[in-house]
Amino acid sequence: MILEPIRPRILSVQRIPDAHPALLRSYGADPERHQSLGLITCDQDDSTFVALDEATKHAPVDVVYARSFYAGAAHASGPLSGEVLGVLAAAGPEEIDEGLRAAVACLEHDACFYTADAQGETAVFPHVVTSLGHYLSKEAGLEVGDAMAYLVAPPMEATIAFDRALKEANVRAVKIFGPPTETNFAAAWLTGELAECEAAAAAFARAVVEVARSPLYR
Amino acid sequence: MSATRELIARLREQLGESAPLSPAGPALPLTPPPRRVFPSPRTRSSLQGQAAAHTTALVGIGRVGTRYATDVVLQFQAELAVAHHAVASLLPEEWIEQNGLLNLQTRVSDHQEFLLRPDLGRRLSDASRQALQTRARKDIDIQPILADGLSAEACIGSGMEVLGALIGECESRGWTVGTPMCARFGRVWLQDEIGELLGAKVCIIILGERPGLGTGDGLSAYVVHNPAIGKTDSDRNMISNIHARGTSPNSAASRLADLAGAMLEQGTSGVGLDLSRVAPGNTATELRAPQVRESLVEVGR
Repeated sequence: MILEPIRPRILSVQRIPDAHPALLRSYGADPERHQSLGLITCDQDDSTFVALDEATKHAPVDVVYARSFYAGAAHASGPLSGEVLGVLAAAGPEEIDEGLRAAVACLEHDACFYTADAQGETAVFPHVVTSLGHYLSKEAGLEVGDAMAYLVAPPMEATIAFDRALKEANVRAVKIFGPPTETNFAAAWLTGELAECEAAAAAFARAVVEVARSPLYR
Repeated sequence: MSATRELIARLREQLGESAPLSPAGPALPLTPPPRRVFPSPRTRSSLQGQAAAHTTALVGIGRVGTRYATDVVLQFQAELAVAHHAVASLLPEEWIEQNGLLNLQTRVSDHQEFLLRPDLGRRLSDASRQALQTRARKDIDIQPILADGLSAEACIGSGMEVLGALIGECESRGWTVGTPMCARFGRVWLQDEIGELLGAKVCIIILGERPGLGTGDGLSAYVVHNPAIGKTDSDRNMISNIHARGTSPNSAASRLADLAGAMLEQGTSGVGLDLSRVAPGNTATELRAPQVRESLVEVGR
């Protein structure tokens, strides 16, 4: 079986209803506007970034912190670490709850890696964000509501597949994160019309599968 | 289904994968955050509902968690707006003459001053004192006065009706009634100066009452015997809530005449007046029919 969803495992979800101003500041929040924090750790960093962005579309929350841990979930510092910590900040705990619900729902039903080979050893993230929230739009320098193909794969597969995606679809490269990322992958953000983003993601996933099938011949 | 899952499902087909994409959904041993801190349904006991049916006061309104329900808050704000609007309303000067009333002014010069200086609203301007001396009938039994008080809206709305009913009622009882007059920016104690100047035995002032929630159209009437500057509230009798949902103009007129009659007979007013000897219409204490609170907001279902 190929292109099977690899379910993200949410490792911990926590709230701090009334966070200390020093903590708020050190995680990038603004004590003037933010009082509460919501934290989430997960074993898939890119799925979580998409889920945090989804949260900004459902609740008045800001993503103040979202970083991957080095070498990924297989080398986590503890059972609750996974490969990413995401932090939402908001004016109050109700907003945080609303945001966390949206993020968890996104991880459960939408954002995930897929297997790119029959053994399930190669992982690919050919995700299409149909409408960007405040977080990813700011990170990418795009407008809220734009479509974006969020593409991730291991270095060799990704490099071939980025090229394929850019050539097969009418999309523009927003950012290409060459290997190694913190988790030793490579990633790219492409934008364009929604249908073109979907075409780019499909071309990307197909290319990753093909490289995985025939690693020594091209 | 998400856009990404759809495109992966299509791609699997193209790549020869026959099994359908495994379903998404919660497969995580995760306790989601609580849905709400407080229970959402509005709680209101049947007893509260029954009690609320007997009054327009804000009782038995139920609660949602520890808070008011939204429609209660909106209704409160709407009713408060009605009261604010009534306080802010002004009595046009031409209205007094158009209604054939003697036009009187107090010592107040503008509306803001009227609200802030009750003492000035209790005294006539020099010009009005003069007008009263020359143009008003003197040495009468009853002197009726209309005034804007704290709700010009109420005065415009039903002031003439109450005044007319009162004059008719007094004349039918054989009393001499003074010149109908109306004072702008007037307060209750203005009746002392006017009554004293004219030598009235009983002075009755009808004026817009302090608006309450949802009630900006209410009139009150104050009755004093042997009016003179220096009389206090303990020298007065009054009836309130003369409006569509309260005491009707005709009923108010007959009750005021009953009070005036008792004052003429007993030679006093206020706490000195023996109300047990006032005609029964005035002291009847039958229970009022249940009132329905007028809804100013629409509640969606």
